[in-house]
Amino acid sequence: MALPQSLRTSVTPPELELIASEQLIDIVPLVTMEKTAFISGAYGPLRPPAKARVPLWIAVNLKLKRKCHIVPPEWLSVESLQDKLTRETSNPGFSELPFRFAEISKVILDIASDDLENPDKIRTLLKDIREARQSKSREGISKLDHSELGLSGLCSMEINEIRPFFIKGMSVLTKLIRDPEHPPKLDET
Amino acid sequence: MDTSSLNQIDFIAKARNASPSPPPRDGFLFTDLDDAQELPLQKLIRHWMNERHAPDILPIQAELLAGILDHIHKQSSTVSLLRTDPDASEDEHFRIMLAQTEIERVKFVVRSYVRTRLSKIEDYARWILADPLLQGRLSETELKHAKSYANLLATHFEESVLKALPGAQQSLDDPVPFMPPMITAPDKMRPVFVLARRDCPSVYLPDGTKMEMRKGQISLTQYRVIESLLFQDLVELV
Repeated sequence: MALPQSLRTSVTPPELELIASEQLIDIVPLVTMEKTAFISGAYGPLRPPAKARVPLWIAVNLKLKRKCHIVPPEWLSVESLQDKLTRETSNPGFSELPFRFAEISKVILDIASDDLENPDKIRTLLKDIREARQSKSREGISKLDHSELGLSGLCSMEINEIRPFFIKGMSVLTKLIRDPEHPPKLDET
Repeated sequence: MDTSSLNQIDFIAKARNASPSPPPRDGFLFTDLDDAQELPLQKLIRHWMNERHAPDILPIQAELLAGILDHIHKQSSTVSLLRTDPDASEDEHFRIMLAQTEIERVKFVVRSYVRTRLSKIEDYARWILADPLLQGRLSETELKHAKSYANLLATHFEESVLKALPGAQQSLDDPVPFMPPMITAPDKMRPVFVLARRDCPSVYLPDGTKMEMRKGQISLTQYRVIESLLFQDLVELV
């Protein structure tokens, strides 16, 4: 098989993490490094203690070797997340979070929790936000029809989570509604 | 000056003038959707995801892929040259390691992209070969593979079963009433999650209503609805 069965229906969380790791993040390096050309762009130079902006995967690499401190993004703080959680529980819509917040926060919490203030509180808040959003996206199932479902504000990991069920559900509804005498105009096949 | 130190300079020089400093991509909402700022690797990742989610085979990104492969090749040879340099400092080793890591990351994306296409080509080989327009979406090698794969399969069916059947039942593409067609085609009715990269012209939904996607909007709808938007790079699949 060119593509394993498990990869055919959806993308895996590690793959999403790989994509999210291309995003840039600020670090405080502890080593010097000349400006270096990478395939995704040129990064550096690293001159401690000046801040530098590098892709997350470089930051992770350096952090694991204790060669930098990660400066967490603004949204990954207790105040900001608390604010999001309040909005999440008081508004029916999804509050604005970075599209790949779940992946990025997981990576940072996993490898650089010592660079965060109060990581345990952040973890709890992220979990609460996740649960609040999850219940909203599950409510979306009741609005599911054969045509379209707006899901603005949803994040990549959340989409991936509801994907199998929503796609299956919509496909079934499509089959039920399909009128053999009047095939839909759009259908080109 | 020996060759290795020459290349070392090259490594740094390339950094200085080749790639423009990457634009800020905070990842906050949809700041990274602008085409002009999109770097080749990000573009490839976007097309890789599109290919993974779309039921149909999408046009090959030949130029983009060639550029990336070229870049991988250049970067690998620089790395292997620098590796042979015994005088390399620890700092130097570190950069080599990072460069090597990135090469592996990019290779993973390229491989997955190609394999996704390959699996679709094998699934829909005969359907692709029946339509010259679709063949334009494949690279030369992919088309060659589609042809030989379809041939192989047909010969196998012929040899193992079909030749023992009556002549009227030997064909591989009979229209059978009340049955799905014998040639497998992608299911364009399959729903996909779509994210608008910018404001899109309106499209018709299966229930007859119009939908106009605004930049940043995410929607779950049938693939055929947004196919034309996807081909114009106005939306991406997530």
